[in-house]
Amino acid sequence: MHTLWLTSRLLSRAIWNGISNLSTAADANLQRKKDPQIISAVCGFPKERKIQRLIKGQFGDDAWFTAKYKTADVLGVADGVGGWRAYGIDPGEFSLHLMQTCQRLVNMGRFTPTNPSELLARSYYELLHHKKAILGSSTACVVVLNKENSTLYTANIGDSGFMVVRRGKVIHKSEEQQHYFNTPFQLSLPPPGYQANVLSDQPDSAITNNFPVEDGDVILVATDGVFDNLPQSLLIKELCKVQGERCATRLQTVANSIAWMARNLSFDETFISPFAESAFANGINTIGGKPDDITVLLATVAI
Amino acid sequence: MTELITKEPKKNNLNPIYGNMIFLEQFVESVISYSSRYNSILSILYAPENLIGNPSKYPNYGDYPNSYTLRSYGKWWNQSEAAQPDYMPQDVDRIPSEDFVTVRFKHGVFPENVHIYETYNPGAVVRLWGHLVSNPWLLLWEGDPQVCLPVARRFSPPIRQVKELVNEIRIEFNQSTLKYYTSLDAVLLTGYQPKSLLQCKLLQKGLFDCLDGCDCDIDKSIESHPCSDGIDLFADLPFEVMVHVFQYLDLKSLCRCAQVSKRWYSITFDPTLYREISLKRYWNKVDGAVIKHFISKCKNVKKLDMSWCSIEKQITEPVFIEFLERCCPNITHLSLGHCFGHTSSLGYITKYGDLTDLRLRNCKCKTEEYKALSNLTKLTALDLYCSSISDEYLINILKSNRDLKHLNLDLCELLERLDEVTEIVSIYNPNLITWSSWKTYSITSEGVKFLAQCSSLRELDLGWCLLLNDPGNCLERIATGCKDLRRLILSGWRGVNDQLLLPLIRQCEQIRELDLLGMKNISVDICERILSSFTKLKLLDISFCDLIKPEQVVLWQQHYPNVTIQQAQ
Repeated sequence: MHTLWLTSRLLSRAIWNGISNLSTAADANLQRKKDPQIISAVCGFPKERKIQRLIKGQFGDDAWFTAKYKTADVLGVADGVGGWRAYGIDPGEFSLHLMQTCQRLVNMGRFTPTNPSELLARSYYELLHHKKAILGSSTACVVVLNKENSTLYTANIGDSGFMVVRRGKVIHKSEEQQHYFNTPFQLSLPPPGYQANVLSDQPDSAITNNFPVEDGDVILVATDGVFDNLPQSLLIKELCKVQGERCATRLQTVANSIAWMARNLSFDETFISPFAESAFANGINTIGGKPDDITVLLATVAI
Repeated sequence: MTELITKEPKKNNLNPIYGNMIFLEQFVESVISYSSRYNSILSILYAPENLIGNPSKYPNYGDYPNSYTLRSYGKWWNQSEAAQPDYMPQDVDRIPSEDFVTVRFKHGVFPENVHIYETYNPGAVVRLWGHLVSNPWLLLWEGDPQVCLPVARRFSPPIRQVKELVNEIRIEFNQSTLKYYTSLDAVLLTGYQPKSLLQCKLLQKGLFDCLDGCDCDIDKSIESHPCSDGIDLFADLPFEVMVHVFQYLDLKSLCRCAQVSKRWYSITFDPTLYREISLKRYWNKVDGAVIKHFISKCKNVKKLDMSWCSIEKQITEPVFIEFLERCCPNITHLSLGHCFGHTSSLGYITKYGDLTDLRLRNCKCKTEEYKALSNLTKLTALDLYCSSISDEYLINILKSNRDLKHLNLDLCELLERLDEVTEIVSIYNPNLITWSSWKTYSITSEGVKFLAQCSSLRELDLGWCLLLNDPGNCLERIATGCKDLRRLILSGWRGVNDQLLLPLIRQCEQIRELDLLGMKNISVDICERILSSFTKLKLLDISFCDLIKPEQVVLWQQHYPNVTIQQAQ
């Protein structure tokens, strides 16, 4: 558990060293007239059809956020690990708080556009300090468009992910991180006494990446409910439709259709889903979709 | 939002002038400074920065992490043995301000109203100051702390109409009447922005007043006191007696007395009147000139409280150094909370080897500046709340001040090896009475065990220190080693269960304050035992302990009327 204060130590150093930098970052004159930006739409469904308390930023155990700051636009999704329900812990609470905290950190400018894993680490660190203990675990994926150099910086822990498509071609796609089949890497805050038995990955184990983007590139950030049920070919076909789209309404239509397709296929018991293929590769004979919470964050880059 | 901002016409005779100006409603743009925070500087939970922008929770009421929360409430912190005694009791404010926060707004306006959105335990605001950056501060409002209902409120005290532009507001708090932590959600400044410089200057110079036919600011309070028979009874009193009488006066009265007559003037120059000086309540007025004035009067200052006076900006360092050199050669108590900024030096303080009590709360000097403090050897109290001291320099200070009794390391983010620090304390400072390291995370249960070797420890604040770390048997060690423990703060120790608290119940009979906030696993039974075993218990905080139901707390409150039981959910 030393890692806990190691995280804080890293952060404290970053902050103390960064105080002088912060002031210059806040300089409004640095902002150019026409900044690159992200236009986004979101759609999703909880796994259970029962009426859920309606909270913005949540679909079942999934959570998402979008946030804008003068230096960067940020998107993120998180998928709460459902296994905690057996311990009387609401799995959606952890992911929701993780994302909401990310959002607040971005809005307050307390992040570095080039370091999305640090954003996740900070958010995780904040969760620890809630007076009310927030327990559970979650995968997470954060995508930052740095306006300075029109470059996308990404961080991903576990099996949520992102995909960037340019004119029908996949430019970048996140890698899945799994301990073993169907058990992704996850950030976790286990109940006291369970630490030893719980898989817990540190925010710095996130896979990070960065690459330049062009005007019109399509970004999809989604939880495994989408990637496990929709074959990539289908996804790309949908994403092509919004290449260069700047109208939020049309973006929303496509986001809706992706989410709908994923949802319908997840309940199709005869469909050979990507999940079933992966299960088969791991020696598990199964068929059909994987019912799960679904979150689709669809975005285009406008430069 | 339930309350709409109503633009009532001002009943003020300045209305026609304001009518030509732009009416602005602004929320906070940035937080400039503050003296108290609940969480570490890294965190945005409960942080002062949450005051920025629109209210996010108002009109909801509760303990919200995205509001600004102060570190202390009620009388508990002032009752601590480590609390700073008043250096100049006759000069204590009728409504002392305990903490402050300064916020900035985008545009300077002639203020009409200041609305403070309080979302948890309101009532602590006692003063409002305003100024335009780099101008003198103006008192806009002051009033007693209030006992309020537990509902969110938008507090809009009637502020003094000032003819100065204001873009910074300083809010001062007195938490003494609060039942629990207080939270602020946002601050709204409403006022009139002049369209032109001319308009602004005309108002400031009071020309509009004359146009309005109203009387200018003539102080009507000057009344002619009828002189009885012209006999000065004080004239018969010897000099020494007069000095003795003057000892009971506060600084303001002394200054007034100096203007009465030549004799009185000379009496106010007696250095014995200035053995102990507290300038905190005059923080906005203390500048280089004031200090130079003191240099001419004081000779042997023993205790000096300059908290909140900016040495860097207002007084300047050379003047302060001269003051220390000429007036305070044998100073023993020095309180400089919030006096220093990033560029200040601390080294010259260490020339004063008689210092026993040094308080450097919120001093953001460079870490290297703390190195010099190890030249001091007689310290008994050291307060480094929210400062940037490092392990190495702290250890040196601890080694050279063996008689240290009170140590405060709350929110010191740069302490990375606190276990080593506690080991040093157990060897070099066995007489420690209070230890406080709220939200300083590098301590583990091993480090806590070293503290158990300080057998005279009476107050132990380890709030949020262990979080998810396994407490092991450190509480048992503490219970065996520190039998005289009176105040124990263990908030946020998630790993504690009933079993781990039992040794405390068996052995620490003196406990008066116990904070168990956020312990998920402690049961009703153990709380029952705590309440029945600790006969001297005054305060028990069991907020966010999920297993304890509010109905149970209500029952306990009836059974144990002498104990304040806190339970926020």
